[in-house]
Amino acid sequence: MSAWSRGLLAGPVVFVTAATVMAGAALWLPAGPAQIDNLVLPIVLFPAIWAALFFYACLDRRLRRAWGLTLLLLLANAALIASRFVGTPAVRP
Amino acid sequence: MIALERDRTRTLLAIHGWAGVLLGLLLYVVIATGVVAVFADEIGDWASPIDPPAAAPFPAGLGLRIAELSRQIDPAYVDELNLYPRAGGRIEAFFHRHISVAGDAQPHAEGAVFELHPRTLEVLSRRDGIDDEVQAHDTSNALAAFLVDLHVSLHLPAPYGYLVTGVLGLAMMVAAVTGLLVHRHLLKELFTIRRFRDALLARRDRHVVAASWNLPFAFVLAFTGSYFSFAGSIGIPVMAMVAFGGDQTALIEAIVGTPPTENPAPAPMADLDGMLADAARRAGTAASFVSVSHYGRADAQVTVFTPPAAGELISHNLVYDGSSGAFVREKPGLGLVPSAGGALAAVMAPLHFGNFAGLLSKSVWFALGFASCYVTLTGLQLWTTRRAESPPWRAAARVVIGVGYGLPLALAATPIGYFAGRVAGVDRTEAPMLLALAAAAALTALLGTGRVPAERNASTLLRLTGAVLLSLPLLRWASGGPGWITASAHGLTTLMSMDAVLIAGAWLCWRAGRPRAAPTALATNGDAAAPLESAP
Repeated sequence: MSAWSRGLLAGPVVFVTAATVMAGAALWLPAGPAQIDNLVLPIVLFPAIWAALFFYACLDRRLRRAWGLTLLLLLANAALIASRFVGTPAVRP
Repeated sequence: MIALERDRTRTLLAIHGWAGVLLGLLLYVVIATGVVAVFADEIGDWASPIDPPAAAPFPAGLGLRIAELSRQIDPAYVDELNLYPRAGGRIEAFFHRHISVAGDAQPHAEGAVFELHPRTLEVLSRRDGIDDEVQAHDTSNALAAFLVDLHVSLHLPAPYGYLVTGVLGLAMMVAAVTGLLVHRHLLKELFTIRRFRDALLARRDRHVVAASWNLPFAFVLAFTGSYFSFAGSIGIPVMAMVAFGGDQTALIEAIVGTPPTENPAPAPMADLDGMLADAARRAGTAASFVSVSHYGRADAQVTVFTPPAAGELISHNLVYDGSSGAFVREKPGLGLVPSAGGALAAVMAPLHFGNFAGLLSKSVWFALGFASCYVTLTGLQLWTTRRAESPPWRAAARVVIGVGYGLPLALAATPIGYFAGRVAGVDRTEAPMLLALAAAAALTALLGTGRVPAERNASTLLRLTGAVLLSLPLLRWASGGPGWITASAHGLTTLMSMDAVLIAGAWLCWRAGRPRAAPTALATNGDAAAPLESAP
């Protein structure tokens, strides 16, 4: 059961979390001097975000903690993105 | 030595093996086609040469010719213009406007493409339509484009092809990282090939040595490759949704750099040849791509892209005022001023394509890519051979041999379809190329289903690949290409070099296809078992 749970976490859940962190980073990362860092860096670093989450999900001995931290990241960024659509634009279009 | 607890090492070893086993064969296809795609430009020049070759990518008189062509097309298309060299040095001029296609969030271009002779600037062909259509009818560049598409998306429809190759890139990155971490004696293993009586153990040592030396390159290729695959299929759509309400064109404009203030008043274009000459002087090398926005308007802007000059890694982007011809600025690839994101994005292409130092860097990338193929294939063979007592793994071993040695045959057969299609006057050569590829795959499958040992099949496939490679220069010539005497007299060096490489490749395949003993023994005793602990 724990193998399936870890597989689920390290596979689809980590991938969706990495994509959500990438999208959310557009809202919390500084735009930098060219006003593009918040848009470009998350796209360029997407493989690194995924790899960090994947290895963490595979290697953390406490599976519950791995689930908790991953879901926390996912939900925090998802909430930030949701607030973008209901609140004031966080990024200058 | 990397110190890891035993259970963590075991977990990483399992991830390393299963990442390879589950996705290894597809990964092998992507890496092998990537090795070929490194020389996509040269393959295009070889398959569709212009005789005699062009002296410069954009010759004098191009500006006037472009102005003439702009008067021959629908005025709606005279908005954006891209100029770029294609197979044989042909120049493509794509007048277009940006459009949205129903059901497709990605922006598209619609317009007219002129293929120009690089010396006389005569129009060789004209194609009108949307970007995908005009691309599909590009016969002169079709062979190179077919091989590149196979590498980039496995010829699967967008965005699924990019998603698959992106996931394969992530799998390769996992294999590279876990491969590094599970090495107990990395430095020692970089230089160790032991002489075992057991062929399997010797093969394991060769796999480890090749993989160890190749680790940094494999990581770089995997990282940059998955970036390219995911940027278009996930990154840009998701970012556009979050920051620009789904408008991808707005996102791209913001990232590339804000365009000048709109001024739709008609205005003649300044001397394009002068701008190209100025750009070559400033960058230290000739232009490789030109983009004109708002052609024929007062707010026209010309951006000249040059490849990196000698000793540089990053290309130059020089911006000119289209109506006055005045130099405006040199801008980074992304954004209007230097930034961390722009700098990081700028190194992705040279690191993935290996095109920053001409043929030298391309050759190094080719060799390292070839080593990655070897590592992937030998890793899969080790995994399946170690489990050969089980019938499913024995069948898997035959599949590994079939794909491993059948793919080079299929890739070598692809130009046969291209030349046959061209001789037959086919408008879209993709179908005959797919047919040739499928025929080679079917032949491989047929050989694999027989009772012949897999190792003997590998020899047969290698020899067949050698025979096909040897036939390609002849087929190229027979389908209307220049012979060696003409090529030599007119300085078609790329064509002659490619023919020589194909003949050398044929000889190497023939030699490698000599039958040899299969590594069937399994290591189970004493000292011999120890090295296999870290084998996949």
